[in-house]
Amino acid sequence: MGKSPGNLKARKRADAAVSNILLLTAFISVVAVLLISFFIIAKALPFFTEVPLREFIGSTVWKPSQDPPSFGINSFVAASFFVTILALAFSTPIALACAIYLSEFAKGKSAEILRRSIELLAGIPSIIFGLVGIALVVPFVRSVFGGNGYSILSASIILAIMILPTIINISEVSIRAVSVELRENSTALGATRWQTISRVVLPAAKSGIITSIVLGIGRAVGETTAVLLVGGNAAVFPTSVTSMGRTLTMNIITDMSYAEGTHMSSLFATAVLLFFFILLLNALIFAITRKPQKRDG
Amino acid sequence: MLKKIIIVTVIGLLCALSALNAGGTKEQTTQAQTVYTFGGSTTVAPIANAAIAAFTASKSDVKISYEGLGSSTGLKQLSQGTITLAGSSRELKDSELQSLLKPIVIALDGLSVAVNSSVAIANLSREQLAGIFSGEITNWKEVGGKDASIEVIVRDETSGTYASFKEIVLDPYKKSYKTQSIVARENGELAAKIASTPNAIGYIGMAFNHIVSEAGGHVLTIDGVEPTSQNVIDGSYPISRSLYIVSKGELSESVELDFVNFLLSAKGQSIVAENEFIPVTR
Repeated sequence: MGKSPGNLKARKRADAAVSNILLLTAFISVVAVLLISFFIIAKALPFFTEVPLREFIGSTVWKPSQDPPSFGINSFVAASFFVTILALAFSTPIALACAIYLSEFAKGKSAEILRRSIELLAGIPSIIFGLVGIALVVPFVRSVFGGNGYSILSASIILAIMILPTIINISEVSIRAVSVELRENSTALGATRWQTISRVVLPAAKSGIITSIVLGIGRAVGETTAVLLVGGNAAVFPTSVTSMGRTLTMNIITDMSYAEGTHMSSLFATAVLLFFFILLLNALIFAITRKPQKRDG
Repeated sequence: MLKKIIIVTVIGLLCALSALNAGGTKEQTTQAQTVYTFGGSTTVAPIANAAIAAFTASKSDVKISYEGLGSSTGLKQLSQGTITLAGSSRELKDSELQSLLKPIVIALDGLSVAVNSSVAIANLSREQLAGIFSGEITNWKEVGGKDASIEVIVRDETSGTYASFKEIVLDPYKKSYKTQSIVARENGELAAKIASTPNAIGYIGMAFNHIVSEAGGHVLTIDGVEPTSQNVIDGSYPISRSLYIVSKGELSESVELDFVNFLLSAKGQSIVAENEFIPVTR
């Protein structure tokens, strides 16, 4: 079964062709990202020549159709911030506990059911979360905390549920990836199971857990439909957890259908701000996940 | 590897850009088109745009655009000759009529006020409405209801409905919307929020009265008059107005005249109804 050199050459060439085709398809996504960034920035540029950045980010007055108009998104930045922080505060402890249970304790059928339902939770469309929010969370917040129920708090409760799967899945994987030797060494030293988990396993899985939280932040900041339905959407600065709020994404979608001229480009400027924020988060994940590899090696 | 990445990316971008360019030039080179520019009221814009699409569907030599400039700017540009037809959601001033602008009613616009089922009130006056939506009246007992704070629901600021309600209800009393109001993005969401929020009040295009009652809210009478198309047409229902297309002088044989006639035809008026306004000819 001797192979002639010509045959080998042809096969190598075919190999190279396939790898190039694959590379090309892979770069469709790169091109998409670049085109989207160009598009958003190009659409937003005219706005920045008309309204100074300081007024855009610093002012809390959003009256795009008033004469003269005012484009201040400070309230929306604040609302996005508060909603995200609250959602993380609700979600992280539950998600971490769940991840620890799944990776360390859960066995057999119950673990399987739990894992499946978390996957299912990740697949539910956000409009469904929004409707459930209107039907359950809003009345709950209204009766327990007062106000009309459409609030920062309602939005963050819904978001907390939505980011659970993101945090659980990635944390679980990184906790599972902690080597058995580490656990055995800890047990050999006489540590209890809980001591092993809290002092050895969790610190070892730290970078993965932080990454999961940052990804959760990204999901929370970018979520639109669900928070739109429960956040109240009033263009006011949120002063308490029960006050209404409008996040950056809500602002874009609320005005998109009718906006024109400077108003339209102000929405793209809002999108640019969001875009930079997400880039920043990605850079953060990159920085976090890089460090421990150095330590290992 | 990096070099490869850069090359592939650049090629991809060039392809995309050339595709964009091709699209752009194609549009410019299609034969001789006569371009018409209309503009004015943003409330009229959805009707105008839908009507333009239907009107020009069979006319490849005519291209019409409608700019949402606002009624006043549109009328100004019409008398200056920048545009040849203007949409207006307000009546013309004497000065505008004197400069030979001629308004034609193409549709009527009526807004209903709806409340949550927990609100035991059947009627409000226009003055009470202005007080509620400006935030001066904050409790239902101030207008004859029970002791409960009023939850105001408005449409998003850039919608025509928001502007209509402001012009008809708030402007005559020199009031502006209160900021602590729930904002709903479209009529369905608004109806759902009125129905699900105790003590809520909101306004909605009259064509949506049935969604409000289906969702569980109820529609109020204003100054004792029910919000029905009939009452808008005979002028008794107060939260209503006419929408106009305005021309400069009498229209003679032209694309403009054809377009106005199209708007007033059965097809044009069905477009009016599709866009949630009340047709004028039946």
